Amino acid sequence: MKPLTVAFAGTLMNSPADLVTRVCQGDSDAFRLIFERYSRPVISFIYDMVNDRALAEELTQETFVRAYRSIHTMRAETKLSTWLFGIARNVARESLRARARANNHVDLADKSVMDLSDNKPVPVEGLLSKELNALIRRSLAALDEDKRLVFTLKVLHQCSYEEIAAITGFSIAKLKTDLHRARAEMRKRIRSYAGVGYEV
Amino acid sequence: MKCEVCLELLEEYLDGELPQPDHVEVGEHLIACGDCSASFAALSEEQELFARYDREVEVPPFLWTRIAAHTVAESNGARSSWSRRVAAIFATPLASATAVLLLAIVVGLVYVISRRPAPKPIVAEKPNDPTLPRDGTDPNHGGSVKPSTTPQQDSKAHVASKPKPRHKPAIKHANTDQSDVLSSNLGYLDIDDLDTARHIEQSQNLLRSIRNVPVSDSDEEIDVTYDKALSRRLLNENVVLRRDAEMKAKFPTKTLLTDLEPFLIDIANLPDRARPEDVRVIKERVKKTEIVAALIDYQDRGTNNR
Repeated sequence: MKPLTVAFAGTLMNSPADLVTRVCQGDSDAFRLIFERYSRPVISFIYDMVNDRALAEELTQETFVRAYRSIHTMRAETKLSTWLFGIARNVARESLRARARANNHVDLADKSVMDLSDNKPVPVEGLLSKELNALIRRSLAALDEDKRLVFTLKVLHQCSYEEIAAITGFSIAKLKTDLHRARAEMRKRIRSYAGVGYEV
Repeated sequence: MKCEVCLELLEEYLDGELPQPDHVEVGEHLIACGDCSASFAALSEEQELFARYDREVEVPPFLWTRIAAHTVAESNGARSSWSRRVAAIFATPLASATAVLLLAIVVGLVYVISRRPAPKPIVAEKPNDPTLPRDGTDPNHGGSVKPSTTPQQDSKAHVASKPKPRHKPAIKHANTDQSDVLSSNLGYLDIDDLDTARHIEQSQNLLRSIRNVPVSDSDEEIDVTYDKALSRRLLNENVVLRRDAEMKAKFPTKTLLTDLEPFLIDIANLPDRARPEDVRVIKERVKKTEIVAALIDYQDRGTNNR
């Protein structure tokens, strides 16, 4: 396809494939468009994984720098968002490993999470959004890495099983199992707030 | 289908990941079975709860600057190194002095040029009218001002020509006070406001892309996620800029932004995957109303007024 001029920046005519081609041809505006289009989902995904705002910003930067340097290796059939999420996942995983080595790992038995998950039923409507956000964030942090990864990608980012398999390298069977268990754990933690009576 | 099988498949059903035959079978079972249906409702409710999750994470404005410094800026390294070489040339004291001298000459020239009188206005002139000077003197100044001639030449011309009294030529003044005219060109000075200029340019690009998008009846849907997000941002900007223009009595700007707003609203309200007919309606309106031409015209006037 004919390369587009800057005048059409950020428009329907800039398909992900076009943008990748243009970046490979040295068009820096195209890379900026990729950043503008995907930075928000990428930073959200990384934040879901590391639960630290400043670190998420730093890792988003690392993700896009790595993406720029290796974009010429991206295969034509690969979806740009899947490829970026794959890099983000690796960057986040490396950071989590480093943090674990430094004994700064997330406390899986986070008492605050358990305190929030008592058995008193609270209607969803009555739940303050900030309270809900904090509860979900802490519950996510309490999941192990693989479960958090598939839960985040499926439930929070609406990726398909196929995309999750491409991003994580997991088999469909493994990701289904992890997703099911992650849902069960999350449900257990938020059940009283959601008023969910569904048992697994 | 048995309930335990249905419950096992319920999450995949919710995720839309079941093969078609299983999907249909689970759907039929849910209609018939109250317990499984209740379980599905609870699962859906849970999903809705997660959909409300707001991380309150924003992409900080400085992030792109940092990323660009490590990516696109490095690619432009050749240009940077050239700049560094030029800077190195001027690093010696003698070269610095030369640079300062050159700068002074340039500033001096700019000053001299800026002190020259305004160019001669265009007047209706008869080709062989003996009453008009033929040496380039300014008729508005009685032929006494001609910066490019020497004083001697000037006085000679003054004596020789002796212009007869004549009708004052009609001259078009660009800066006439038109405070009583709403659509004065003065309103276009607003384009000097970089925010407005950028907003108009981005809106124009958006509308051009909508106008040019190929829509065929065979398309099931068109992905307008990015354009929709862009339109939402531009819509917010538009409201602020329109009010600002109104407050400052910049009526042409206000009128243009008012005309633009319905298009931004329509694009912002499209679903992420819009139906071709919805996109086509907007596309046709963009064509019919010539809003893009109006935006371009506005930009051109703004550029000319700078």
